[in-house]
Amino acid sequence: MSSDLPRPGRVPLLILGMLALGAGILAGLIRIGVSAPPPGAASVLDHGPLMIGAFFSTVISLERAVALGARWAYLAPLCAGLGGLALIGGLPGQVAAALASAGSLLLLLGSIQVYRRQRALHTLTLALGAAALCGGNVLWLAGAGISAAVPSWISFLVLTIAGERLELSRFLPPSMVARQVFAVIVTVILVGTLPIPGGPGAARLLFPVGLLALALWLLRQDIARRTVRERALTRFIAVCLLTGYGWLAVGALCLLAAGGVLPGTIGYDAGLHAVLLGFLFAMVFGHAPIIFPAILGVRLPYHPLLYLPLVVLHFSVALRVIATLAGLPTLRSAGGLLNAVALALFVAGTLASVIRGAREPRGSTGR
Amino acid sequence: MNIVDLGLVYDVRPAAGHIEVDITMTTPSCPMGDMIVEEARSVVSAAVPSGTEVQVNLVWDPPWDAAMMSEHARKHFGWE
Repeated sequence: MSSDLPRPGRVPLLILGMLALGAGILAGLIRIGVSAPPPGAASVLDHGPLMIGAFFSTVISLERAVALGARWAYLAPLCAGLGGLALIGGLPGQVAAALASAGSLLLLLGSIQVYRRQRALHTLTLALGAAALCGGNVLWLAGAGISAAVPSWISFLVLTIAGERLELSRFLPPSMVARQVFAVIVTVILVGTLPIPGGPGAARLLFPVGLLALALWLLRQDIARRTVRERALTRFIAVCLLTGYGWLAVGALCLLAAGGVLPGTIGYDAGLHAVLLGFLFAMVFGHAPIIFPAILGVRLPYHPLLYLPLVVLHFSVALRVIATLAGLPTLRSAGGLLNAVALALFVAGTLASVIRGAREPRGSTGR
Repeated sequence: MNIVDLGLVYDVRPAAGHIEVDITMTTPSCPMGDMIVEEARSVVSAAVPSGTEVQVNLVWDPPWDAAMMSEHARKHFGWE
């Protein structure tokens, strides 16, 4: 472990990720018609690259680097974070795309290292997720357009979570059938991610079908079904997970109704934000009290107020998805604004927990 | 549920003035290794005579498997 980056060295990486998150939220707000300060010199079209190419890539790569405990692995979040900074600083999009591509390649190398330490379906799924991120970033770098990268980026995020949840499901009695179904679902998602120019319309449905099947698998197999009966933080995490899986299913259904991941359709915006906000940020909210202490060595004691951002998130995503599907732009903007409020509440709540954790004596985590 | 029941403690080697503990994580993608090593070191240090050198190693061989869980843990997670 001596080659690991000391905890204070991880803070700037997290700050880079948070800058991308802040700018990404502002870009998203402006795009949805809310008057908000500009996201530095970034364009509103940089919303997706800031949120996924920069923010999520940075924090997930950071988590993987901490797990590996090797200094070189921290170059992955550094590159991803600098890519976000390049967008905020108004550098050409190609610079950000190149940095993001380099970061994702390093994440893939780190994920292969994890797989070599433990050759299992869950570590393979994480590596495939990292490979999907590489694919999306290379499409972005090659100038194929952001929307061409979107399915690969979603695959990265969804497979990363799926791999982690599969890993934890090993505590439950083993089911060979469940593992085989999981492997089929991952395959369907990955094949559905591949761009097939001029391919049959039905092929475009593979991706949302895979997402829907994954949501059902998670709802059925995740250990959260058991831990939701426990108390305090354990229960909160399970509630985040189970409600998030609901949004994954809703998002997949929206994309199915739209005929695939087709930009410009109503189902595209509703489906993407059900998955990337409702599902993904519920996962973030649930994992933060565990991940922050692991990365920074700070404590995040449980408090029932942790539920507040989660409730606002679910309400705002519901408002946004329904307003989008019903063609009500004003309500859609209100939903978008509330999405941002939920994320701001989460960040404020996390900071408050860190301060509270520093004041409380050790051993009173409320778990 | 504690890390002993989860089967994460592989070995404890006490010697005069020194104790060495090998622990693992359920997966090498888990970022909590560092933190759990620190907590284990602090718990072991409190349990041994003062002045004893405590060394906690994070090991990956053999990879953790659910079969390593105790009877109590398996019952907790619904195994027959």
